[in-house]
Amino acid sequence: MAAIASALLIFGGLRDSGPRSQQDRIDAITMRLACPTCQGESVYVSRASAAEAIRAEVARQVGSGLRTDDETIAYIEQRFGSQVLLLPRSSGIDSLVWALPIAALICGAAALGVAFRKWRTADDGAVSAEDSALVNAAMASKNVTDSNS
Amino acid sequence: MLSEKKAKRVAPIAATVVGIVLVCLLWVLVSAKPNPSDNADSPLLGQPAPAVVTTTLEDKPFDLARRKGSWVVLNFFNSTCVPCRIEHPLLLTFVQNQLSTDNPAEMYTVINDDNDSAVLAFFAENKGDWQKIRDNDGTIAVAFGVAKVPETWIIDPNGYVRLRIAGQLSEGLLDEQMSILKVQFGS
Repeated sequence: MAAIASALLIFGGLRDSGPRSQQDRIDAITMRLACPTCQGESVYVSRASAAEAIRAEVARQVGSGLRTDDETIAYIEQRFGSQVLLLPRSSGIDSLVWALPIAALICGAAALGVAFRKWRTADDGAVSAEDSALVNAAMASKNVTDSNS
Repeated sequence: MLSEKKAKRVAPIAATVVGIVLVCLLWVLVSAKPNPSDNADSPLLGQPAPAVVTTTLEDKPFDLARRKGSWVVLNFFNSTCVPCRIEHPLLLTFVQNQLSTDNPAEMYTVINDDNDSAVLAFFAENKGDWQKIRDNDGTIAVAFGVAKVPETWIIDPNGYVRLRIAGQLSEGLLDEQMSILKVQFGS
């Protein structure tokens, strides 16, 4: 029962929510674009004139129905450069933004794994001769003290 | 112990590698030269100019595609923008100088996020009898990727974008660049 409920939840969460209105598309596109004259604001929220002009252009392109969301974003990117993308592309040199943290994570995890393994191999529970001699000497001196008292 | 000996061997190597990387980064920073050109980059350079179909302040139709055969200068302008106001005398000089050349360039002011009356008042006060074209919803600015004014663009007689100057013009820059372009691409 739990498995069925989980599967239904996953299916419900992932399925297409149905056709989007033009306004939904405009909002989705402008949320992915950075205002070219502001710091850290999307075109969707910005009230700057450049952002308003981009919003109007997006609305025009969505209204014409000639371009997909990605094509509309590519049009704006071609004009203003890749800095207008809030999410960097996953191709070309920009893909390093995505790949490098993952590579660093994998390398770090691998390095930790190797280090832990070495520490465990080095500390295998066996007592070294040097340590045994120290313990024996300490025990012997304790025994002498006990017998004297 | 063996691991300590190994660590003692690895540490200098790691430190050397990190040091070399840092020195390389420093070298890149020190040797980097600023772009000496006044011209701004744009993916539109060398490409056909975007379509510009609008009206002038006199309510006459304007279509950039119909200006083929002439060099066209588009100056994106706002009457409240200080650099736009400062560079205005340079545009007047440029237009005057062009009159004495073969195939003088046509100057157009693209009104960016401004109202007609403010632009008319500015030009009445500061001169400049060239056409002012409307861009009420920012279509032209977006088509050229103009985020801030002033910006000046040059379109060649075949309708290709040849130059973008972002920001305020410096003295003589537009004349100099136009002369170079006319030699390069033919007047």
